[in-house]
Amino acid sequence: MRQLLDIDKERSSMMTIVQLTSAFETLASMRISQIKNQVLQAQGFFDELWNIYIQLRVDSIFRFGRHNSEKVIDKELYILITASGGFSGDIDQRVINMMLEKYDKDKQDIIVIGHHGSILLAQAGIPYKRFFELPASDHNINVEPLIHEISQYKNSFVYYQTYLSLMSQEIKRLELSTAIKQYSSMAAENKEIISEQTYIFEPSAFDVAAHLERSMLQITLGQVIFDSKLAQYASRFRAMSAANDKSKESYSDLNTLYNRTKRSIRDSQLKQIIIGLTR
Amino acid sequence: MANPDTTKTAQTTLTAASATKQATVDSSGKEMIHIKVFSPYKTYYNFIGYSISGVNDTGPFDILPRHHNFITLLNPCVLDIRVQSGSKRIRISKGVMHVKADKVVVFLDV
Repeated sequence: MRQLLDIDKERSSMMTIVQLTSAFETLASMRISQIKNQVLQAQGFFDELWNIYIQLRVDSIFRFGRHNSEKVIDKELYILITASGGFSGDIDQRVINMMLEKYDKDKQDIIVIGHHGSILLAQAGIPYKRFFELPASDHNINVEPLIHEISQYKNSFVYYQTYLSLMSQEIKRLELSTAIKQYSSMAAENKEIISEQTYIFEPSAFDVAAHLERSMLQITLGQVIFDSKLAQYASRFRAMSAANDKSKESYSDLNTLYNRTKRSIRDSQLKQIIIGLTR
Repeated sequence: MANPDTTKTAQTTLTAASATKQATVDSSGKEMIHIKVFSPYKTYYNFIGYSISGVNDTGPFDILPRHHNFITLLNPCVLDIRVQSGSKRIRISKGVMHVKADKVVVFLDV
């Protein structure tokens, strides 16, 4: 009898796990769809901004929004985007491994986003300049502190996980200045020139161009963080989906075991009654 | 908020010499401009209006039909869009405004 109660208890726990994994799976899938929409919306915004910038700039050098007089650190900046927790499998380790292929501590500084990445770097004894938490929210990500850091370096690279599909995510290395140029889908189509002869600028053409550079950097970084989050949600969705299937299977096994045990108890009770009657 | 009629700066008096495109007008023949106010993740306004007012480093300013080509960085303010039914106000923290050929685009949060 006790065994039956134990099985029943285990069966109801398994049912809770089935419901929980199903809820997490739905949540991950909802977040994936929300982020995908945001990425698409931001693309249109970026395109319009880029179109103005490309008509305005006087040369092809991307200055990361800094003025000519500002001093530049003669090093490259590596930005690693990792998960905030440890539920991301080996993907964060792969981000670090890819970065280590090119890393030289005298030539590059590291900034890490995401708690898990900072732990992995500390364990490997690799120093990093700054650490930022991965934003918990999927809206209005403030990347300004990061842009302030980027603008001090001659060039910056981002290492992050990217979303290919629900079942596959991969690690990417992105050179920021190139990425910004490539990001626009309508670049160089409009050849009209925006200059002080044809436009009024406030405060000045240079300030506007520098501001647009910072803005586009901000959007590109936001998109990279979104892409990384998308990959993490996809990875979580996959894990939850597998856990849901597994828990459903276990629940079904426990249900069968429960019914069998119940039947066997009833059979033995009946047997005892029949034996008692025949005496 | 600044009154659009009293805070006209030199900017509003400049007229695009090359504005050959036919202007949008309302039923009474009053000229209108196309206004789009959006951020990377949200569109706040995307329709026609009589004018738009904002604040930059120089102070409050208005954009009216036939305004000269203009790009400005916006300060924290309330954008006031005058439309047929009255006015629409949008509080902003920062942005970039681009004006060309009776078309105003305001990029917010950048």
